[in-house]
Amino acid sequence: MSSLPSRLMRQVPWIAIAMLGAGALATVALNKGETISAAWLLTAAVCTYLIAYRFYSRFIASNIFGLDATRATPAERLEDGRDYVPTNKWIVFGHHFAAIAGPGPLVGPTLAAQFGFLPGALWILVGVVLGGAVQDFVILCASIRRDGKSLGQMAKEEIGPVAGSVALVSILGIMIILISVLALVVVNALRDSPWGTVTIGLSIPIAMLMGVYLRWIRPGAVLEATAGGLVLLFLSLYAGKWVSESATWAPVFTLSGVTLSVSIMVYGFFASVLPVWMLLAPRDYLSAFVKIGVVLALGVGIIVVLPDMEMPPVTKFIDGSGPVFSGKLFPFVFVTIACGAISGFHALISSGTTPKLLRREPDARLIGYGSMLTESLVATMALIAACVLTPGIYFAINSPAAVIGTTAMSAADVINGWGLFKTISAADLELLARQVGENSLLSRTGGAPSLAVGMAHLFSRALGGEAAMSLWYHFAIMFEALFILTTLDAGTRVGRFMLQDLLGQVYKPLGRVSWYPAVVICSALFVSMWGYFLYQGVTDPLGGINSLWPLFGISNQLLATVALCVGTTVIVKMGKAKFAWVTILPLTWLVIVTSTAGTLKIFSSDPKLGFLSHARLIEGQIAAGTLPGTISEAAAARMIFNDRLDAGVAAFFLAAVVVILTASIMEWLKVINGSKVAVSSETPYVRTQLVGEG
Amino acid sequence: MSADRSGRVLRSWKATVHRVVAMVHRIIGAPDYESYLAHMHRKYPGCTPLDARAFEKQRLIDRYKQPGSRCC
Repeated sequence: MSSLPSRLMRQVPWIAIAMLGAGALATVALNKGETISAAWLLTAAVCTYLIAYRFYSRFIASNIFGLDATRATPAERLEDGRDYVPTNKWIVFGHHFAAIAGPGPLVGPTLAAQFGFLPGALWILVGVVLGGAVQDFVILCASIRRDGKSLGQMAKEEIGPVAGSVALVSILGIMIILISVLALVVVNALRDSPWGTVTIGLSIPIAMLMGVYLRWIRPGAVLEATAGGLVLLFLSLYAGKWVSESATWAPVFTLSGVTLSVSIMVYGFFASVLPVWMLLAPRDYLSAFVKIGVVLALGVGIIVVLPDMEMPPVTKFIDGSGPVFSGKLFPFVFVTIACGAISGFHALISSGTTPKLLRREPDARLIGYGSMLTESLVATMALIAACVLTPGIYFAINSPAAVIGTTAMSAADVINGWGLFKTISAADLELLARQVGENSLLSRTGGAPSLAVGMAHLFSRALGGEAAMSLWYHFAIMFEALFILTTLDAGTRVGRFMLQDLLGQVYKPLGRVSWYPAVVICSALFVSMWGYFLYQGVTDPLGGINSLWPLFGISNQLLATVALCVGTTVIVKMGKAKFAWVTILPLTWLVIVTSTAGTLKIFSSDPKLGFLSHARLIEGQIAAGTLPGTISEAAAARMIFNDRLDAGVAAFFLAAVVVILTASIMEWLKVINGSKVAVSSETPYVRTQLVGEG
Repeated sequence: MSADRSGRVLRSWKATVHRVVAMVHRIIGAPDYESYLAHMHRKYPGCTPLDARAFEKQRLIDRYKQPGSRCC
């Protein structure tokens, strides 16, 4: 037993961190008018994470799960040298972080910057500490105690078969929306950009070359092949530059949005049908390094430059009139930023490969809670990168052509006309586009291009000056597109398997993964599902991100709702109902947010926001013959159909929330009022045989 | 004596590189044939384990089958 003074002494550093964090947060939140340095936001974030990790994750670990170093984990008990392998906790941390971090935490905060930096920053911090990290951690613990079962299996066993099936169908729906919106981000980054198109296009043969090398020349030499691949990627960056400057080749690779969409669909189809070693696996290795590289580069860039935030803390657009996406601050900031604050998709990973690797139970705290805090830090840095741009430039890149027109002159006029930010000139916009080596940066919606401009801005200030800006920009675009496409191709393949599983119930042969016609049919079917939404987004005059990103956010939060329902049920059945508020708190918030956002997207009378009222508006225009000249009647009819389809998708997600929530609450009440005995479905305690630190 | 010593240094250096490579492989989720072999020898000394190529093929196919290995 240590004495009271020495116990107090140990808390001193934590008190200092808490005070530093509170001071930094107060500076960020209460600052009026003057621009502040990004260092304040970064300090506030890091201190918040440290305090939350030290106190809140420990509270959950000891009061709810009682994580026990003497209890053998599934990795030990079921060790098979394949899935179940006891692994050092830092390696599992790296593996888990590489799996959860993707384009989500980069794109969401960039889009949400239209509200100013404060709303996004606060939601990222509060959301991760009380929501996202809790979800990842609780699901990881639940899965470890159940031999590494998946979220779908746990939903079925803990809540009931109906909730289980709804969860499975929702996962398929979420993947369709996720892949289509990510593909749209890539299309918007590469459209009319020969440099970007050539660089990204070359990554496909590079990956295949690596595949061949690993298959026939040096099997198992993954690092060698990846190092070679990275060198070739850098060369392709220069190849892209060369093409963009060549009068003969530049027009050949200047592709329209529609052509790019079709190419991406063809790519997705082949990734799903070809053997994994040929394309998917090598791309994935490249992408893992690139992902960690981007995150580190972004962090170093921000710390070295310590830029000022040019965006005001809060903009007028919290009233719902924003050009980047429609809708007021509540609920849309909470849907737009999913990854980085709370992302349901992580629950699939926390109950996928990760729980089968943990060597000791207490490691779950670092891996479940800690990895998510790290992802949140990435989201904070992405938000900073968006907010260091001159606001006028941010809005010129992220607003659809329907709002700012198609010329630098019209864009500058519209943005200056708002009278909200420092004025920009058409020459500024043209100069910036030239500096980054593009013809135009206007209306490159989707977040990736403005993040790349932000990163290029930071890097060129740290290294290379303005002359290096175009290289840095395409470097950032290449990195982002590379790992977005890796989510897309692997997701298409997973979607194909899920579809085969589902259709196999109707007609047996379709479920056979070795029967080629079934593989081709299901791949084509799944690609056309997300491809439809992609095409809809590319041809949408409002830019597509406007309708698809909120749908993605809603669907991702729906999955988080499922995960938190499973988590709460597990906690209640453990007899820990008095601590169930830990998951019920974020669950309640998400249910409020998703149901409000979903209802608004379907029924809002504002045609910019509500799908159905937008469909009615166009119907009215057709009837009155007042359609804008650029839209044909056939295109208008298609827009009406798409609006109704999107409304249907949102309605499906809402219905899924209601079904799963109702089933869960009934289960909790039965346990709490005693009509059902609380039986924990945990695997019984077995003492560990492993010795020493992992 | 000196040759012996430099041999030892080289060996320990090689071992370090080997460990780092194995660690990076695990982080990026590449198939880990050596662990599998060690596991099979320890637990099932009588059985013939899969060869490297068959093992890698099976691991890769499994990895890209379920949604539990990647995120947005």
